[in-house]
Amino acid sequence: MSPTGYPWPIETARLDNGLRVVVSEDRTAPVVAVNIWYDVGSRHEPDGQTGFAHLFEHLMFEGSEHVAKTEHMRLVQGAGGSLNATTNPDRTNYFETVPAEHLELALWLEADRMGGLVPALTQQTLDNQREVVKNERRQRYDNVPYGDAWLRLLPLLYPPGHPYHHATIGSMADLNAADLPTFAAFHTTYYAPNNAVLSVVGDVVPADVFALAEKYFGGLPSRPDIPPAPDGTRPAPPTGPVREDVVGDVPAPRIYLAHRTHAFGSPGYDAVTVLATILGTGRGSRLYQRLADGARLAQPDYVSAYGVDLAHAPAPLIVTATARDGVAAADLEAGLAEVVDGLAGGVGQEELDRAKALLATAWWRQVSTVAGRADVLSRYATQFGDPARAGERLPAWQAVTLDAVAEVAAELHPSRRVTLSYLTEEKPA
Amino acid sequence: MSLVTERPGPGAARPYRFPEVVRRDGVVAAHLPGQALAVAILLLDAGAGREPAGREGIAAVLAKALEEGTAKRDSAAYALALESLGAELFTNVDWDSFRIGVQAPVDRLPAAVALLAEAARTPRLDPADVARVRDDEAAALRMDWADPGPRAEAALRADIFGRDRRHGRPLHGDPDSVAGVGVDDVVEYHRTWLGQPGTLLVAGDLTSVDLGALGAAAFAGAGEPVAGAGGPLPIEPRTDRRVVLVDRPGSVQSTLRLGHAAPHRAHPDYVLMTLAATVLGGAFTSRLNHLIREVRGYTYGIRAEFGQSKRFGRLLVSSGVQTAVTVPALVDTVGEVSRTAVEGVTEPELAVARSWRAGQLSVDLQTPGAIAGALATLVVHNLPDDYHANLRAALLAADEATVSEAAAKHLNPHGLTLVVEGDAAVIRDELVASGLGEVVDAQL
Repeated sequence: MSPTGYPWPIETARLDNGLRVVVSEDRTAPVVAVNIWYDVGSRHEPDGQTGFAHLFEHLMFEGSEHVAKTEHMRLVQGAGGSLNATTNPDRTNYFETVPAEHLELALWLEADRMGGLVPALTQQTLDNQREVVKNERRQRYDNVPYGDAWLRLLPLLYPPGHPYHHATIGSMADLNAADLPTFAAFHTTYYAPNNAVLSVVGDVVPADVFALAEKYFGGLPSRPDIPPAPDGTRPAPPTGPVREDVVGDVPAPRIYLAHRTHAFGSPGYDAVTVLATILGTGRGSRLYQRLADGARLAQPDYVSAYGVDLAHAPAPLIVTATARDGVAAADLEAGLAEVVDGLAGGVGQEELDRAKALLATAWWRQVSTVAGRADVLSRYATQFGDPARAGERLPAWQAVTLDAVAEVAAELHPSRRVTLSYLTEEKPA
Repeated sequence: MSLVTERPGPGAARPYRFPEVVRRDGVVAAHLPGQALAVAILLLDAGAGREPAGREGIAAVLAKALEEGTAKRDSAAYALALESLGAELFTNVDWDSFRIGVQAPVDRLPAAVALLAEAARTPRLDPADVARVRDDEAAALRMDWADPGPRAEAALRADIFGRDRRHGRPLHGDPDSVAGVGVDDVVEYHRTWLGQPGTLLVAGDLTSVDLGALGAAAFAGAGEPVAGAGGPLPIEPRTDRRVVLVDRPGSVQSTLRLGHAAPHRAHPDYVLMTLAATVLGGAFTSRLNHLIREVRGYTYGIRAEFGQSKRFGRLLVSSGVQTAVTVPALVDTVGEVSRTAVEGVTEPELAVARSWRAGQLSVDLQTPGAIAGALATLVVHNLPDDYHANLRAALLAADEATVSEAAAKHLNPHGLTLVVEGDAAVIRDELVASGLGEVVDAQL
């Protein structure tokens, strides 16, 4: 096993305005990935403004000082590139992969919307993208069975006022109330070079990238008064178990068990990651072996366990199963709880080794593309201050011991559990 | 504050090269230096197109049943052996092929391929296990069919190809057809179709990989190759448009699936059709997404493409729109298909489509999995090793006149089937009044 999970070179620089630039050269293919993380996500949204960080992400594609509406997409795709952006509770990222000769175009586009978005914001654009986002919410959350599970789990896990209490997509009411000056202020406050990391990975020479970064981003002013992020340690989580039962138009009963664990990047969360793999990844996992195969309570395609990699408060571990035909929700819930509770009795060396082997493959798959690598570098620079720490994750997983797994397993105590159950309309509990 | 006002032009392009293709004794491989992971896929001419009528889903059930233990070990032992290598078995059934693959760190590839072959060639297929897998698969499809989309897709396929034809039925069957699959059907399908040698695709850093040994493991005990499935099926162009309504009471969106029959994958117009569909609805700035999302705000996204396999193809337009704007969205969509057929494409739009499709070849083909998929395309469609290099050149050389000609020839706005999966009580009257076409209820 490689002693590092990041065997490629990493070079870094910081512009005078505070923009951190990370370059990782790899000449294998004539492509380059450009990735920017802004250290702002839905955790920064105050009451009444849920969904604003994500709606703002949409506005970033709608033109800036020297780029017309929709021209951003046309220029990147017209250069042969792929592009997108995502928002989550922690941060917002923007990325494109282009044939290497178009690197400068990508940097120019990113600089123009970092420094020149506000003059291009119009009421018409806001109204249009508000409708697009409302349709995104309908398509992803409102119009699919169980689609609102994540929207329900977050407020059960984190109390009102906690930065992770609400989901990134936001509420329809808040989206409807969004006004233009708020978005202009959002950009001015958070989209500053000293609140961002620019990573460039692929067929490039680092010195060239640093010079280009200076050329395109160097003239942007830093912002001295970016407000501190909300505190992820308060309010304190509820004590005691929490549950919600939803009776709805779903094809089968489904149970979610969730726990607040540790923040992404901590040794405790590494153990949780290994534990989740033991529990839920592959046909050799405990959920598959015991619930899908053994007791046959759960549908094999719908058992899983995963951590949500959030870094600014204890991150959730989600364990879920969906009932096989004729299995009652209560029986499924009891079976699922038994498997989770059983972890406290310890896991075997073989299970640990299996999980580590699967995690190694998952890691190498993530960094097999220049885009995947650029995202990882931006993450570690933003959240841990040093992109080179990306190389530590895989070895940290490999170093997780049976004792460490036992320790986090003991923390998944029923008294600290969040239970969300979906019941079919025909057979309410 | 100062921004650079001038948009920069491109630098000097470095040529993209598809990796050298190695073909040896049934193994087709590509060397990707420095990749930590490698992929191996056993590609068999045993796709869903081989399934008998009324038994759709046999291949999908068999794919799952392969992991229920082998002649050598039970399912738990098999899972542990494979997953301890960091590998999981992945299977994929499309119209033309049945694929069984593994991805693993390259030094573990031989062991993973041996396990792949063990499952593919000597599965236990115990009747009780097969029956359980079949029931689970039917239940999984019922879950899937509770989401918007699968029923609309089935209605579209049935209308454009006919329910009595295999390709007029869903690729992986529907919950009823899968429930009707017998244990014997599955065992028989394995005996008939998974005994052929097939092709082993390998992509990764081959420096220390013995391709001959991998091939020997994959082909051990295999029988004779199978005869081809036959040539392209004839297309019967329609002249009347129709609206097929799939009721989804209470739905807050209408799921749209529009389409008509179109030529197969190996048709000489393939590149031109790809570019025409890209201008219509393949890229973010395409006509459909621009109008329906960016101007109207009706949807989160809409796309159009030609979906093509060895024997048939179709145009497919997909979207989800807010219920209240179902009819205006359909009118706009049909309008853009018509405009593209009648007026063709413009050079600025084509320039984006061309460079995007060509650029995507280098951007997308980075990983062992993507390269293995490209190797599969070569094998399934019997294409030469320099296919990807030539494809890039052909995309870049296509001009406005020929792409417009292909749009006129292969887009048929008057023969479109418009499937709408939504709240029928709310949208039916407006659909009927729209005059888009005769409105019929889906027979699912």
